[in-house]
Amino acid sequence: MSPKETAVKKRKKSGMVMLGIVALLYLITFFLSPETGKQALAASGGVLKMIAPILLIVFFLMALLNTSIDSKYIAKHLGKESGVKGWLIALGGGILSHGPAYVWYPMLSEMREQGARDGLIVAFFYTRSIKLPWLPLMVSYFGLLFTVLLTFFVILSAWLQGLIADRLLSK
Amino acid sequence: MSKLKQRLSKALKHTARSLWMIMPMLVAVIGLIGLFETVITPEMLRSLFNGSTFREIIVGILSGGVSVGQPFLSYAIGGELLHDGVSLYAVTAFILSFVTLGVVQLPLEWALFGTRFTVVRNLLSLLFAFLISVATVYLLECFQ
Repeated sequence: MSPKETAVKKRKKSGMVMLGIVALLYLITFFLSPETGKQALAASGGVLKMIAPILLIVFFLMALLNTSIDSKYIAKHLGKESGVKGWLIALGGGILSHGPAYVWYPMLSEMREQGARDGLIVAFFYTRSIKLPWLPLMVSYFGLLFTVLLTFFVILSAWLQGLIADRLLSK
Repeated sequence: MSKLKQRLSKALKHTARSLWMIMPMLVAVIGLIGLFETVITPEMLRSLFNGSTFREIIVGILSGGVSVGQPFLSYAIGGELLHDGVSLYAVTAFILSFVTLGVVQLPLEWALFGTRFTVVRNLLSLLFAFLISVATVYLLECFQ
């Protein structure tokens, strides 16, 4: 069995184990408090409804990535030699991406397998904390100066974290 | 044209297979989010904040890391915490870790990116939530 096949098998197995653990947690919750169990199930249903359209977009983006962009292209624009362009793509992509982070995990993990740098993925994840549609709400709660400073520091630290991650994770 | 169609069909199959493979973990994470959303309430979070600024920042980071929901929730909870007298340092740490750290997402991140990547990324997020909250509020106080 190739290393890739082993990794795939391991992933699937860990998913099933995790699903079993969560199912057990729900059983315990239903046993202790059926009302809480029902509320938790309803909340999960709400999450599923919320992420379904984003998951669909990610699905098509992944298909597009597999059809039109090969690993050489990814390695060039997001790999070791990507330079400033790579940083701009990662930082900008993180800011513009929508929905919860875990929805983007499958696509980013595929890009990583095709040669995208760890540091850029770390930077992408961190700039996701800047939520453009919610910035006006942040301003209304904490003020404009706070929002500007926080946004600036998030972008700066996303870049720094990317650099550190590249150092720590390079083989 | 038929070559493109062939590639597209192959890519769609590959993508569907990838998503199908992570589906059990994704469903598990969604289930965990529902449980956390129900069990961890804003009132519970509020009761954790009392002590020195340093301690409050740590509590802010940890409670943000275990909380789940839409980002605007973190602003609303943060606003309430501020109103209750919790320091802006801690509230900033809470808002940041609410989005950048995710205890419920850890199993999926670990399954797709491996142990080393997951540990490094989350430790960096933890450390930088602390640094950013201190830098942001310190500069804010200097400007005001």
